[in-house]
Amino acid sequence: MEEKPEKLIVNGKRLDGREPGELRPLKIQAGVLKRADGSAYVELGGNKILAAVYGPREFHPRHLQQPTTATLRCRYNMAPFSVSDERKRPGPSRRSIEISKVTREALEPVVFLEQYPRAVIDVFIEVLQADAGTRTAGITAASVAMADGGIPMRDLVASVAVGKVDGTIVLDLNKYEDQYGEADMPIAMLPRKKEISLMQMDGNFTPEEFRQAIELAILGCEKIYEAQREALEKKYSANLGGE
Amino acid sequence: MLNVKRRELVVPGELVAEGDYLLGEGLFRDGREIYSSVVGLVDIRGRKVRVIPLQGRYVPKPGDKVIGIVIDAFYYGWILDLNSPYTGTLFASDLLGRKVDFSREDLSEYLEAGDAVFVKVKEVDELMHVSLEADKWGMGKLKRGKLVEISSAKIPRVIGRGGSMISMLQGVSGCRLRVGQNGRVMVWGRDLKRVNAIVEALLMIEREAHTTGLTDRVREFLEKRIGGK
Repeated sequence: MEEKPEKLIVNGKRLDGREPGELRPLKIQAGVLKRADGSAYVELGGNKILAAVYGPREFHPRHLQQPTTATLRCRYNMAPFSVSDERKRPGPSRRSIEISKVTREALEPVVFLEQYPRAVIDVFIEVLQADAGTRTAGITAASVAMADGGIPMRDLVASVAVGKVDGTIVLDLNKYEDQYGEADMPIAMLPRKKEISLMQMDGNFTPEEFRQAIELAILGCEKIYEAQREALEKKYSANLGGE
Repeated sequence: MLNVKRRELVVPGELVAEGDYLLGEGLFRDGREIYSSVVGLVDIRGRKVRVIPLQGRYVPKPGDKVIGIVIDAFYYGWILDLNSPYTGTLFASDLLGRKVDFSREDLSEYLEAGDAVFVKVKEVDELMHVSLEADKWGMGKLKRGKLVEISSAKIPRVIGRGGSMISMLQGVSGCRLRVGQNGRVMVWGRDLKRVNAIVEALLMIEREAHTTGLTDRVREFLEKRIGGK
């Protein structure tokens, strides 16, 4: 692990040159995998994340089927080569099981699960390269992948982290800010109604800081939502072939 | 009040209209506002609004004609895969159109696992148990041909407005087609080369489903493929 930088904010700018309320460079692409029903690829700064959606399809084992609604299954997984310092041990860990669960809970409120009784929708999120904020980028990718797969949804889900470094509220933390900052709070939002479907927190905020952080997160999610819409529109208008 | 133009591309959660409209597929209501639930193109006919989906799985509806593949047989019928999250049940009496005495007849005479069957969805209950029938003329086992699977969202384009595309495909090639709403198309004919040309044409329709003047381009493609033997 590298040394802690002396200061994380110099002259009001962050180490990577961003303003406190600025996102890292964001790229979203829909429909990148041929075999999946829906897929998306997201790059947010150093994060590279692939999401694939399968279904709705028949749910096996059958005793897990829910008679009146579909089931949403999510798997968040980090590739062994996704982190810098050492090879990550492959396979599920305590951390990835938790992230899978909160991802599922962040996505569930938007999906019309009751339209597909007994079926299952599988969402796979693969982190190819990690650089802080992978769970939020994973949710962003998964939501685009579900829309790309034609799964009926009430809204997209946009997600970003906010935090506090050197006493300043910042948007979309990078690796150093995540490791050495004072607080980190991933947020997922349903942009249409501004409802929050994921909120976790690590560190401390005062109530006033918390309010500021939420507001900054909402702004960030709105920017991400625009990029998500653009990605979907781009894929399909390319398919429309200049109509 | 409409918020979008006709044929405009919408994404899930996008405001389509406000007020009294009749909702078709791909839309949901929240108070007075009407939102899209899928990625698709808005279609407006008078007070009726719907979103034509560009992707998505087939979900059985009563009255649909689909091509199923037998995956299992049981004492009084068969279970069919419908290229959907749900399988369908076909009773022997609904295939043969008569009473069947199971102690005297061997059902494997009629259908076996792997057979393709052209069936009609008879009923779908609230738990999505699908029952099928195939006792009308033209239904039942498809004995030969090539089975093509494309996205079920593209099937309306294979049929065309008033059947224009499908009659063109059959007319130009002399092959016969059976189109299932679930995205499966069976093609058969005397000349294998023509059958293969139709298969390619179907894949072309799937790729270019939302372009205009598609029927003419497919006709051109087919004539070139069949003409240049």
